[in-house]
Amino acid sequence: MAELARNEAPIETIQENEKAISPWREGWRRFKKNKMAMVGMGIVLFFILLAVFAPLIAPYGINDQNLSLRLQAPSKEHLFGTDDFGRDIFSRVVYGARISLWVGFFSVLGSVIVGSLLGIIAGYYGRWVDGIISRLFDIMLAFPSILLAIGIVAVLGPSLKNALIAIAIINIPNFGRLIRSRVLSIKQEEYITAAKAIGMSDARILFHHILPNSMTPIIVQGTLAIATAIIEAAALGFLGLGAQPPNPEWGKMLADSKAYLTQAPWTMIFPGLAIMLTVLGFNLMGDGLRDALDPRMKN
Amino acid sequence: MKKKWLLAMLVFLLALSTALAGCGKSEETSGEKNNDQEKSAQSTLVYGRGGDSVSLDPAVVTDGESLKVTKNIFDTLLDYNDGDTSIQPALATEWEISPDGLTYTFKLRQGVKFHDGTDFNAEAVVFNFERWANGNADTFPYYGSMFGGYKNDESHVIKEVKAVDEYTVQFVLKRPQAPFLKNIAMTPFAIASPAAIEKYGDKFGENPVGTGPFVFKEWKRNERIVLEKNENYWLEGYPKLKQLIFVSIPDNSARLNALLKGEIDLMEDLNPADLKQIEGNKDFKIFKRPSMNVGYVGLTATRGPLKNKLVRQALNHAVDKQAIIDAFYAGQAEPAKNPLPPSIPGYNDEIQDYPFDLEKAKQLLAEAGYPNGFEMELWAMPVPRPYMPDGQKVAEAIQANFEKIGVKAKIVTYEWATYLDKAAKGEADAFLLGWTGDNGDADNFLYALLDKDSIGSNNYTYYSNDELHKILVEAQTISDENKRIELYKKAQEIIKEDAPWIPLVHSTPLLAGKANIEGFNPHPTGSDKFTKVEFK
Repeated sequence: MAELARNEAPIETIQENEKAISPWREGWRRFKKNKMAMVGMGIVLFFILLAVFAPLIAPYGINDQNLSLRLQAPSKEHLFGTDDFGRDIFSRVVYGARISLWVGFFSVLGSVIVGSLLGIIAGYYGRWVDGIISRLFDIMLAFPSILLAIGIVAVLGPSLKNALIAIAIINIPNFGRLIRSRVLSIKQEEYITAAKAIGMSDARILFHHILPNSMTPIIVQGTLAIATAIIEAAALGFLGLGAQPPNPEWGKMLADSKAYLTQAPWTMIFPGLAIMLTVLGFNLMGDGLRDALDPRMKN
Repeated sequence: MKKKWLLAMLVFLLALSTALAGCGKSEETSGEKNNDQEKSAQSTLVYGRGGDSVSLDPAVVTDGESLKVTKNIFDTLLDYNDGDTSIQPALATEWEISPDGLTYTFKLRQGVKFHDGTDFNAEAVVFNFERWANGNADTFPYYGSMFGGYKNDESHVIKEVKAVDEYTVQFVLKRPQAPFLKNIAMTPFAIASPAAIEKYGDKFGENPVGTGPFVFKEWKRNERIVLEKNENYWLEGYPKLKQLIFVSIPDNSARLNALLKGEIDLMEDLNPADLKQIEGNKDFKIFKRPSMNVGYVGLTATRGPLKNKLVRQALNHAVDKQAIIDAFYAGQAEPAKNPLPPSIPGYNDEIQDYPFDLEKAKQLLAEAGYPNGFEMELWAMPVPRPYMPDGQKVAEAIQANFEKIGVKAKIVTYEWATYLDKAAKGEADAFLLGWTGDNGDADNFLYALLDKDSIGSNNYTYYSNDELHKILVEAQTISDENKRIELYKKAQEIIKEDAPWIPLVHSTPLLAGKANIEGFNPHPTGSDKFTKVEFK
């Protein structure tokens, strides 16, 4: 174990000798050991495959209405049954994976980009720049996030794209704060002082040295944030503020099913399960990543 | 040390949860007590419905949610029979029509007082009619569409309203209006207290004062309207109920749950799919409202491709009405081919509906210059309506139908009052809406909804046809019923050809309530007077 500890040296110190393992590979090794994390990754991979190959997997079109076949129980023809328009729920759940993963991934990507940028600037320059940006984050965090999202969608108009934008916006301060605190500690490091001393430009220091060293928490937080983003998208969809009909968004499917809860529970169970599983997958994977990438958790 | 702390915490949590559980229980038992008391002599009826009222001044609104409340606060000069739209006396006890059909003289009921204690008399009637006649389509939309406009309009039917003596009032018309008595009986033309109107001004809609069986008590927007028994009601021995409460529960299933749990006593807009559940339960029963309505897709004739008659006809061909009825009305409706429901004299049964024919629809679109279709908005109402229990679902079904002919419809919705307001201004491309007849006359459908005079009030499609206008006005002025029926039949032919609507359904609205409710006969107009309702 002592050996491994030595290898904890930061990558940027170019100390890699032949025996050293990169921290990423080391992280992966530890991640593999974590059973729950692997299960989480399995679930996530499964849904990604579903999303990518949706057209091959789904037996019916997502908007093939057949009102004479409405609310049919699960059967060989319709694995998950049919909804109140006689549409195949299995096909809609499969295509729904596309929407949920798309919203989850891109909304988080958006908040990571904007949040990191603001966080780096705030952390590195400090003083009034930090003051303004940090107060902005405080204000945004003062709202319950879903309420803020509803407000944003109300202004932009209900659509899937606007729901994505809203979710991206409400997550910005989380990433901003994370990066800011990270930058605050990294900027005290000797190698940064050294970089400054040899006359490196701010931009180079920020994007070539500080940012790469802040990636770990972003990846962990990002994975976990995808889970919340998916739930938030489903909530907005449920409220009619996200995906618009006939989009097979899981939250919207849940909302549509609520009139038939007792009559046709399968209209609710399958989209509900899909939401639960993806969120579980991302959470398990995120937890695993945190354990694997955090050097302090090594033992 | 650590263990001790843990133990202490556990004990504390246990104590806390017991205490909290205790609180919960005591509340429950007090709730039960209340229920028991109600059971022994229930005199409060809670009526659950889908939407809140817009205003409680019946003259300024056109929506059913407002009128079904004001119906119980106010009285009209004449009223309808219990189960149909034939005329019976109310505030006026008798009436006389001059042979030329131009003068109507009403004898008023004596000794009636408004809820604020002022007297009901001929002056009050004149005051109300003057108030409406001096308004415009924005302030008193219904008045304009039923009486041909306002004071300075050429088309205005009423020349003057005068008080002959304290209890006699006389209407002089410019031209005869066949459905005049039926119009006078309409809920919007209820007589309000002149003193209260002057006192509250713009705020009268929140402080309604009439002569009706119930007195307005309080209104919490989007939640409840509470009415209390009018102890001095002119109908001896009525109303039976002490309190009448209207609560808004937008979701049909949630409203049904509230009924099953006993939070409400009577509900409207039962999901047709839930019909079986109520029928199998002996504590509840179904009330069917006689059908006198139409649910339709309005095609705003002033917007984009919809300006073209061929496009409107194509869309008519593209909707599978029967499938929609089977799926979302549980069969409790029939497909509509006319704006007029079949129960109303003048219904033209010879009209052949546009058959559901996608090829024909595509061909018409191509002829109109849109071979690849087009994009438009399709508005869906946010609240269940008697003519459409679930607008969103119907919109989705129509959206899928339209898509097959290349018309991409985006479903749009607004809060109900905004929806009506924006649609009335002609801001929607295609919109779902409907109409429940107010007085059982064809005029109340065809003239009110599709005449050019009604643009701005109830003609949301902005459809205007001079030939139709001539026919509809003529039908108003003659009193020969057979001739009128001929004219209305002709009018329906013109409307079918021009296709300003896709008429969808005539539904039988379903209500469900406690089995011990007596004296409740749902009225075809959709507004019920609860004077004679009681719990057995």
